Amino acid sequence: MDVFVLSFWGITIILFVISLIKDKKKTFVSMKKSKKMMGHMVIEIISIIFLIGLILTLIPPESIENLLGSANVFLSTIVAAIVGSITLIPAFVAFPLVGSFVDVGASIVPAVAFLTTLTMVGIVTFPLEKQEFGLKFAVTRNVLSFSFAIVIALTMGVIL
Amino acid sequence: MILEKIKKHKMLLLVIATYGALFIFAPEKALASINNSAYYLLEMLQVLPIIFLITILIDAWVPKELITKKLGAKSGLAGNLFSILLGSLSAGPIYAAFPLSKLLLKKGASVTNIVIILSSWAVIKVPMLLNEVKFLGVNFMIVRWILTVIAIIIMGYLISIIVKKEDILSIESVSAYQPLVKINKQHCIGCGICARVYPEYFEMNDDKAIVKSSKVTIDNKETIKASIDDCPTDAITIDQKSPMKPM
Repeated sequence: MDVFVLSFWGITIILFVISLIKDKKKTFVSMKKSKKMMGHMVIEIISIIFLIGLILTLIPPESIENLLGSANVFLSTIVAAIVGSITLIPAFVAFPLVGSFVDVGASIVPAVAFLTTLTMVGIVTFPLEKQEFGLKFAVTRNVLSFSFAIVIALTMGVIL
Repeated sequence: MILEKIKKHKMLLLVIATYGALFIFAPEKALASINNSAYYLLEMLQVLPIIFLITILIDAWVPKELITKKLGAKSGLAGNLFSILLGSLSAGPIYAAFPLSKLLLKKGASVTNIVIILSSWAVIKVPMLLNEVKFLGVNFMIVRWILTVIAIIIMGYLISIIVKKEDILSIESVSAYQPLVKINKQHCIGCGICARVYPEYFEMNDDKAIVKSSKVTIDNKETIKASIDDCPTDAITIDQKSPMKPM
């Protein structure tokens, strides 16, 4: 657990205790509501997590290197963005991976596309997003995020 | 009943089935997958309890007016920047942002700002930015950060044009409850009578009335009938397809 998460634990627990002292009943009513809302999410999240494990076995992070190094920058950008949308690699694995590649002299455009869709577009979390916000929202947000990831990548290729 | 359950957890069943098959045909791959999942399970256990507590705290103590003022449709650029800040200060993967964003949306935040919170939650995180500097350099990080923030704000406005708040909030009434009472948006003039006289059943949202569908049950049929009579433009109707059924 990093310092960031740890301090979140500290702060929220303190606030929660204050909330309990201040108004026990009000806190419990909200707790009930929150439990209902989170309850049906948890099973879904656990399924998603094991699905991510499967995907990581089938598409190991190392295989992305080949992808980023392809000669055709435009094509490899699109493919990198698609792979980034499907997989969920932790940032501390993704950055060194992409970094080592850019160091060798590969184009940064596919790298940026990959890094951006990795976090912003979620094919795996899509069912959950759909459940919470509806199909229209989930589709629009993911499609736009994908398109913007490519725009960001191309712009960075021009700037840097 | 069983069919319903299967449909509800189809994802879980699919994953279990895949693992089952993998264990039979390629056990080492199955074990590797479980190993890969462990990291994310740990991450979930670290983050979800906090999200649970935060939603409780916001629900109990942050008044709707405040959220509407700071993150609502009229909060403007300040609201957008505040959303970026909220998202960036977060911890955990994007799915952790879903329950919190939904609650903020219910309590008056605009669709634009919800998109901004969700996206910056995913992309702009302080520990992640530090990591990016370490492996890809300061310039790379700063340029990507600036471009991402611009993209996120544009996206927020684009999505709010395409998806309306009611589109999102009506999801619940479709899935969990029978939609009993409807408000015709074309007829509603936003007078607010229903929300004032029957605050348990109606509320105002962007100058139109919306039904708090979860509260509408057979027990308050009479009150609902009365609210229909009170509406000056007859915008409130009982949905004929689903007569007032008990939930």
